[in-house]
Amino acid sequence: MKTPAKILAAVLLSASVGCNHLPGKPGLRPETQRPDQTHDFATLYKTNCSACHGDNGKNGPALPLNNPVYLAWAGHDAIQGIVSNGVPHRLMPAFGPGAGGLLTAEQVEDIVNGMMKNWGKKDVLNGQNVPAYNPGSAGDPTQGQAVFQRNCASCHGADGKGVAGGPPHVTGSIVDPSYLALISSRGLRDIIVAGIPEQKMPDWRGDASGKPMTDREVTDVVAWLVSQRTPHPGTMVTPADKRKNQAAIAPVQSRGGR
Amino acid sequence: MSGLKQKGIAIYRWLDSRLGLAGPVIEAAEHPIPKSSASWWYVFGSAATVILMMQIVTGVLLALVYTPTARDAWNSLNFLNHGLTLGWFLRALHGWGSDFMVAIVLIHMTQVFMFGAYKFPRELTWILGVFLLLMTFGMAFTGQVLRFDQDAYWGIGIGASIMARVPFVGSKLVHLLLGGPIIGATTVSRFFALHVFVIPGILLAFVGLHVWMVLRLGINEWPMPGRLVRRSTYIQEYEAEIHKDGVPFVPDAGWTDAMFAAAIILAIMACAALFGPIGPTGPPDPTIIQTVPKPDVPFLWIYALLALLPPKLETPILLIVPVVVICVMLALPFFAGEGEKHWSRRPIAVLMVLVIAVSLGTLTVVSLNPPWSPEMTAWSADPVQPRFLRGRTPLERQGAIVFQEKQCRNCHALAGLGGKRGPDLASVATRLTEDELVRQVLQGGGNMPAYGSALSPAQTTALVAFLGTLNGNERPARDPSLELTHSNAAQKQQKF
Repeated sequence: MKTPAKILAAVLLSASVGCNHLPGKPGLRPETQRPDQTHDFATLYKTNCSACHGDNGKNGPALPLNNPVYLAWAGHDAIQGIVSNGVPHRLMPAFGPGAGGLLTAEQVEDIVNGMMKNWGKKDVLNGQNVPAYNPGSAGDPTQGQAVFQRNCASCHGADGKGVAGGPPHVTGSIVDPSYLALISSRGLRDIIVAGIPEQKMPDWRGDASGKPMTDREVTDVVAWLVSQRTPHPGTMVTPADKRKNQAAIAPVQSRGGR
Repeated sequence: MSGLKQKGIAIYRWLDSRLGLAGPVIEAAEHPIPKSSASWWYVFGSAATVILMMQIVTGVLLALVYTPTARDAWNSLNFLNHGLTLGWFLRALHGWGSDFMVAIVLIHMTQVFMFGAYKFPRELTWILGVFLLLMTFGMAFTGQVLRFDQDAYWGIGIGASIMARVPFVGSKLVHLLLGGPIIGATTVSRFFALHVFVIPGILLAFVGLHVWMVLRLGINEWPMPGRLVRRSTYIQEYEAEIHKDGVPFVPDAGWTDAMFAAAIILAIMACAALFGPIGPTGPPDPTIIQTVPKPDVPFLWIYALLALLPPKLETPILLIVPVVVICVMLALPFFAGEGEKHWSRRPIAVLMVLVIAVSLGTLTVVSLNPPWSPEMTAWSADPVQPRFLRGRTPLERQGAIVFQEKQCRNCHALAGLGGKRGPDLASVATRLTEDELVRQVLQGGGNMPAYGSALSPAQTTALVAFLGTLNGNERPARDPSLELTHSNAAQKQQKF
């Protein structure tokens, strides 16, 4: 073979081999599927959950989900219920088909299973005296205040209004009426029992007195916090004020004034 | 060997004595052109023709597999992409060929305009060229529809609603285009017929006439400042120049055309190999609302223009401007058929090209990352960056959740992440005081809707508390009068 023919043969040979590795070659399946056909946990979590619960389930403003204690304690069914139906009157929206969400039941299942598989540790609560997921009673606020003083005050302050001085001390109040209006009792119980590891908030075991909180104690602390909710959080104007104001401007409005 | 050669020549003679084509073809190839025109500036027309040939070949091959029905079109594209050896490359060649075709045709037209080549006696060549440009856009649009995906589906929707605005016959035109009142089973067949039979048929006939006239009237000479075109003398002057200084097209000028066309084809192949086929995006199902449809590159400027036009101007601009522009382009050689050809003596022409190029370019660039539409998934997909949450109080953290849950993020980015419809809020606290934030959130204004009825007082408090922390490393905005009254307000707050 002459040299040009050899070069041509080499180019053709390498081209025929290289065609399978060209950067433009599409993958095995359609790149864009119907949105309800996405079952990949990473994609589903990224597009639906990461905004509030943070990249990789951490460091978001909402409850961290990349927390084996929370996952083991709440369990598959409870989390599935929350993802599907949301938390009524609170900030967690519903994602399931029955409650107006855009995900299918299978996709909700994929998300829950994905969290359990990627972030969960099955035996993390084995042999632990963990408080029940659902509170057994309404709780006693007075008892709760005492428990709070014992277990929580070192970081949150005696009145729950926070302590200056940086972590582990919490700046900012957890008895602010607006905060208490936005977080559910369920959410408070979740944080007390499962903790927020990346913010140094310990779970029910890591309290200041060196002894795990009991189910009763957790329930009482939640009851004490909840007892500090106010009827009209976040506003200085009560509905009665509003009615009074409207009555005052009604005659002006009826005359066509502004 | 010599026997074979003899035989070949005998066959050629036998054919040519019957066809008689060799003489005219050779004559056409060797036709004399002005020496100055044997230039790299005169290669775009032939390159467009070569791309057209490539589009025909790849188009025929695609038509062997493509199914022109609303139900199966998307699946057949995916079969080409994923189920057929090098089917993706075929689609990529045709798709990138289309984009290159539009670009080269536009460059060709600009060059012809700047060199004054549309002037006497080449008026009709220009007019056919205008139609060829329109048909190139027609091919690009119908081709985009045949790639029957979400972009195509909503693209036809836009096309149909533009047509529906035509007075009196609007709905009839929509029927004609879609094969019914809505995008249905017949729509894809219609566009298939347009893309494969109707437009290419006319296109090829017009290309034939266009090339025929180029040969018959001669290639435009290199324009010289001060050398004016006059109807009475131009032809004699041109022939004198050819006679004095002419060279045969092949080989003196033809090689630049061949080199450039080859380079363009190689560039198309490289784009196809590197970037792959264009689409298809998701299936063309109007029930899928999680989609951000966009037209192909040649139409992005229209997409941007339609988004930015004030609603009242839409119909007049959509219906009147294209007609005026096309009429002006068709009439151009009649009102500017004589006179200067050189760009240095035609400042208005240069300005027009610059303005049009900058406008179309700007609209296209803007449309790549459009700031006018909210990013509908940002509220659930774009995390609040951890640095905005470090050291924040529980209330402020709840405010960040309110910010996401109420979908503020869809219009407002935080440090670049999120929608671009409204201002980025990463440093909003340096611009607005707490009171101003409350007012803006509750009452809206400046193109932002009022959220007063969508937020509880607690949510507003938390949201404003969070927004109030977004001051970067700058001093937060403050209202000195507030500091005087703040103690009173705090006292009143404690009552509730």
